[in-house]
Amino acid sequence: MKLVAVTACPTGIAHTYMAAEKLEKTAKKLGHTIKVETQGAMGIENALTQAEIDAAEAVIIAADIAIERPERFSRIRQIRVPVHSALKNPEEIFTKLK
Amino acid sequence: MKEMLQKHKQYLLTGVSHVIPFIACGGILIALSLAYAFRFHLQDAHGGPDVSQAPWFIQDMFTIGKTAFTLFPAVLAGFIAHAMAGKPGLVPGFIGGLIAGTPQTIDGKNVSAGFLGALVIGFVAGHVVNAVKKIPVPKLLRPIMPIIVVPILSALPVGALMLALNVPMAQVMIALNNGLDHMQAGSQIVLAMVLGAMIAFDMGGPVNKTAFFFGVAMIQQNNFAIMGACAAAICTPPLGMGLATLLSRKRWTDEQRESGLAALGMGLIGITEGAIPFAAADPLRVIPTIMFGSMVAATVAMLGHVGDHAPHGGPIVLPVVDHRLDYIAAILAGTVVTAVTINLIKPPAEKTPAAEGV
Repeated sequence: MKLVAVTACPTGIAHTYMAAEKLEKTAKKLGHTIKVETQGAMGIENALTQAEIDAAEAVIIAADIAIERPERFSRIRQIRVPVHSALKNPEEIFTKLK
Repeated sequence: MKEMLQKHKQYLLTGVSHVIPFIACGGILIALSLAYAFRFHLQDAHGGPDVSQAPWFIQDMFTIGKTAFTLFPAVLAGFIAHAMAGKPGLVPGFIGGLIAGTPQTIDGKNVSAGFLGALVIGFVAGHVVNAVKKIPVPKLLRPIMPIIVVPILSALPVGALMLALNVPMAQVMIALNNGLDHMQAGSQIVLAMVLGAMIAFDMGGPVNKTAFFFGVAMIQQNNFAIMGACAAAICTPPLGMGLATLLSRKRWTDEQRESGLAALGMGLIGITEGAIPFAAADPLRVIPTIMFGSMVAATVAMLGHVGDHAPHGGPIVLPVVDHRLDYIAAILAGTVVTAVTINLIKPPAEKTPAAEGV
């Protein structure tokens, strides 16, 4: 499955990036392709393009805060989870996609 | 109801995420310039540090830091409202927040509604904007809605409310401050333990920030003891975990020993987040341990009357701390307790890289 994701935590220096890494690893393990945009203290990094978002089947938003530019995802399926669930049970997030 | 609270928590954290760099910037610059004044014994009439006698670049640094701090309530309220209502939330949020941060003179003391007021008014601003947005307008007038009507119709009531709330909220801050001043030793210890546990619990997350902001708010009211307890508690989770990896090599994987060194570095500059890799790998053992260690550190600091003049923690703020030996003792005690406890309860690491994903 082709997926995109956004991670964001309040401080934006640790959890944001750890969650991104976990999502990437888990996606690879389960045979999905994923691109993860991080919205940390440095702002948006590894930004998703609209074309990438449109091509994806769903977006995973792992965030404890309101994410930036959410309107980009208005037309695709959204799975919204807190950041810690991406750290603790990343596989469970992917089962929600089915 | 639960969902609504959840949403508001998210709005609050969004505001906090924008304000953290302001606090770090302001906190460290203020700490450095105060440190200079301390070092060269530049004192005002009351014996406090007096930056106005320092060279111009130290004074500038102090002013810049202060400015970052002045912006803090405005940015907090502005971005809480922004998270709730989008761009139109910024105007009433910033205005309400700035009013909340404006010092009021009550009984000869300068106090402001500060962080608490900014937080409340940020939520109010968001709700007001969302309500104003719903006013039906004829198509002809629609273009002037976002640039004239919404900003004015939201800024007026929000600003007026904050102006009215300012004095009572400042009085709450004074009462809180007086209560803390007159607290008995027993309740001081309880307070220190609670703050310490909160600081370590989520290592830089919302619970940690709540305790931290409480300390910062109290600095603004000239009570430095709360921040003193927080400052000691802030650095012991990463310092303790780092020390643990040095004390017992066999309990930790190579990767963990590496993050141990990074944690020591982060601990020294007062970044609790350094302990996160350990807590993520083994939360059930690590989180209670670091909470215990931070409780010890905060309690020792409180009993030693440690005061921290900078809104930041860890050994880096030592120059601007009152009762420095007690501060060092508090940090050492918390660090050693954390390191020894975790090494006692943690089994040796398996030879295979078992700590998956760290």
